Amino acid sequence: MITRFLTDVRVKFNPFNRTSKSARLFLSLLPPNARADGMKIESQMLPRVSKEPATLGVKFKDGKEMSLELDKMRITEVIEQVDRHSRGLARKEELSGN
Amino acid sequence: MPPRIRLRPRALHLRVSAPHSPLTHTYASLATATTPAPAIHTSPESVSIRRYPPTQPPSHKPPETRKSQLHRQYQSLLRSSPLILLFQHNNILAVEWMSLRRELAAALQKVDAELAGSQEPIADEIKLQVIQTGIFASALDIVEYYDPVKPTLEGEDMVHGLSSRAYEIAQKRKRKLKSGLEPLLSGPLAVVAFPTVSPQHLKAVLSTISPSKEFPAPKRKANPEYHSLEVQGGLAKLMLLGARVEGKVFDYEGTKWIGGIEGGLGGLRAQLVAMLQGVGASLTGALEGASRSLYMTVESRRMDMEEKEKG
Repeated sequence: MITRFLTDVRVKFNPFNRTSKSARLFLSLLPPNARADGMKIESQMLPRVSKEPATLGVKFKDGKEMSLELDKMRITEVIEQVDRHSRGLARKEELSGN
Repeated sequence: MPPRIRLRPRALHLRVSAPHSPLTHTYASLATATTPAPAIHTSPESVSIRRYPPTQPPSHKPPETRKSQLHRQYQSLLRSSPLILLFQHNNILAVEWMSLRRELAAALQKVDAELAGSQEPIADEIKLQVIQTGIFASALDIVEYYDPVKPTLEGEDMVHGLSSRAYEIAQKRKRKLKSGLEPLLSGPLAVVAFPTVSPQHLKAVLSTISPSKEFPAPKRKANPEYHSLEVQGGLAKLMLLGARVEGKVFDYEGTKWIGGIEGGLGGLRAQLVAMLQGVGASLTGALEGASRSLYMTVESRRMDMEEKEKG
């Protein structure tokens, strides 16, 4: 997963809900130096009885905000969505000659 | 290879418990001898010959692999720790692990020093351990759903946790019961296991590793090393998912509640005793309340009448 264009990651999930697996896996895919490189990562855990769906809010370097409901999405789909925009940014970066 | 010990065939003569059937004596030969095993489970009819060494009973998977040994370690961990905290760790660097463990050990030693004498020191036995999630899940299944019953004629060794019997009984497909812990067991996990349920130690662990409003982290002046980059970086990557306390599953709030029990288990018992005594006292008070109020009314009326007579 391309993570260098992410500036802000906000995850909310109920760990006892099977559907929150995508949320937890997304957090585990962030590289170890992400926080040191300036990415803000925030995770909030809902109580066991909560029925709220798991949500992921991502902000990119160009200001775009993406908010996904992770209830019905598998981790591969989540990565696809995020990477699609990241690849666009990567291409723009290449074209502008860094 | 034949054993190096020179065994005379007469010395391998297995003794049968019932001497009235001499025809059933079996002679163990040098070819099948390992150690002269004691004849357990002998009946007058037959003597079972052990087909495997007593220290290496057959196992469902190859026992020499790291996987099987980890499985055994996790089974032992789950059985011996009444309180287990489950964390998710997200790419924590080695330096961060080192710093976290150092801070944890220091905090636990402090709690032990405070409790010196009243409780056994357990700080050395509480560690933050990264686990292999799949193997841990399988070990949890076996610990929860497999009960080694009395040994059958096959021998005691078929009931150990790695046996095929254990595997079949604990298989998820065949059983209806679910442990509440299953949804937590995915992704990278780490575990803190306590040998006893000690709310004071739990409080120290929570305020060090997952600080919150109820369990504040140490201040910068009190513990400057705690606020170094490595510790703070590691802390941000650890998430407390839940806990398993004496077989029951608690979530984040539940774990905080356990940590907040004042005075440890001894204090909880004292509270319970006080509450029970209070119940008894209030019950007697309620029962005699009606008659007591009647007595008071009659007494006051009587005193009124006496005063009126005098005056």
